[in-house]
Amino acid sequence: MKVAVFWGCCIQANQYAYEMSVRETFPLLNIELVDLSEVICCGDPVKSVNDFAANFLAVRVLALANQTGLNDLLVPCNRCHFTLSEAQENMKNPKIAQKILGLLKEESLDYSPNIKIWHTIDMLHDLVGLEKVKKAVKKPLKDLKVATHVGCQIIRYSDLGRVDDAENPRKLDELIKALGAETVDYAEKLDCCGAALTRSHPDSALSLAGSKLKAVQSLNVGGMVVSCPDCQLMFDAKQKDAGTTVGAKLNVPVVYYTQLLGLAFGVDQNKLGLNLNQSPVDQLLSKISA
Amino acid sequence: MSLTDLMTMAKPNLETRDKILSKLKGRELVNCFQCLKCTSGCTALKLLELKPHEIMKLVNLGFVDELPSSDIIWTCVTCLKCVQRCPQKASPYHLIIALRNLAVEKEAKVPETYMKIVSSILETGLAEPPQKIVTKKMEAVDRERLKLPKIRPPKESFQTCFMKAMEEK
Repeated sequence: MKVAVFWGCCIQANQYAYEMSVRETFPLLNIELVDLSEVICCGDPVKSVNDFAANFLAVRVLALANQTGLNDLLVPCNRCHFTLSEAQENMKNPKIAQKILGLLKEESLDYSPNIKIWHTIDMLHDLVGLEKVKKAVKKPLKDLKVATHVGCQIIRYSDLGRVDDAENPRKLDELIKALGAETVDYAEKLDCCGAALTRSHPDSALSLAGSKLKAVQSLNVGGMVVSCPDCQLMFDAKQKDAGTTVGAKLNVPVVYYTQLLGLAFGVDQNKLGLNLNQSPVDQLLSKISA
Repeated sequence: MSLTDLMTMAKPNLETRDKILSKLKGRELVNCFQCLKCTSGCTALKLLELKPHEIMKLVNLGFVDELPSSDIIWTCVTCLKCVQRCPQKASPYHLIIALRNLAVEKEAKVPETYMKIVSSILETGLAEPPQKIVTKKMEAVDRERLKLPKIRPPKESFQTCFMKAMEEK
């Protein structure tokens, strides 16, 4: 099965491990990824400056997806997923649609409302299915217990039609169980990583990330699993700074779900970008190989 | 009706209020009955004292002249919990975004990073350029080293259209 893929800025600018692990694992589930002909921003950071321009960028991405002739678009980033979904909804407003379609016409681009926007989590859970994922597992991740962090923007707000339930998301947990590992529920599961505050209040952003990591550390689990490049940036690359901000010595391995998936499929660690994670992932890897 | 904010002696500005309301189609803040569900679940409340219900009330009453220049509108983490939990289908998040847009329009104090991102998109299409990152063995790697495909920049016509889009209010 072929699907178009839109990565967004964060993944293509520094969160390479996510891109690498998706590119390695999806073909093993018979999903062929087709990149868009151009790479642009989804519009998320522009929302705060000019909401219309943000919608224009998002619709332009959907028009580029339309160019591929495919009906399914994979958007692995939570913020891009939300921005594109909301723009698709806004296009139902004829006033906005008319202006945006006019701009697209200048570039000979065509928008189609029929493109289905998927995130990594629901594409694997709903489209591929847990059974198929289970069948592809070569090395079950026994003896591994992890905490999940689904992030904010793929589960809220429900009116828009999101990837999972807003107050009790289960799909990421189910996908981890399909690999043979266990997950825990914890009070801070729905807390935000703080990434969006980096632009205006960086210390507060670190404080949010630090508090959540502190909570996860006290659970005594093997690590934390995320599915959003912004969350990974906060919890993994900025873990040391976050620890300093909240006055704690943090030591939590943080990985992308697709990295775990690759490990369970028997893919080489470096091909999954595990040497790029800045958090102590070796702790988690030793549990898997033991 | 002649309301006065006794803290600042400000008067309501109904014209601006209407302009904001027109941007909130389907999520009208006049529905807000101050139940405080938004504020009690707000991620930014603990750290930065963002109280979404207060912003809703201020705009509802027409006190909209001070908010765009206030730092408080830049404390929202965009976690969307307020939109999700509002029983009245109003949305503090969408209101805050509208106020941020107004701040830009009025050339009020806007965090610099946002404007930098806009110019980066205008120049390259991307909010941030691809970076070299460091592996755990302190080796610097880029997309090419990691055998990731080259970034394909947008065609030239993109710049003109994006600029036109930025002029819309």
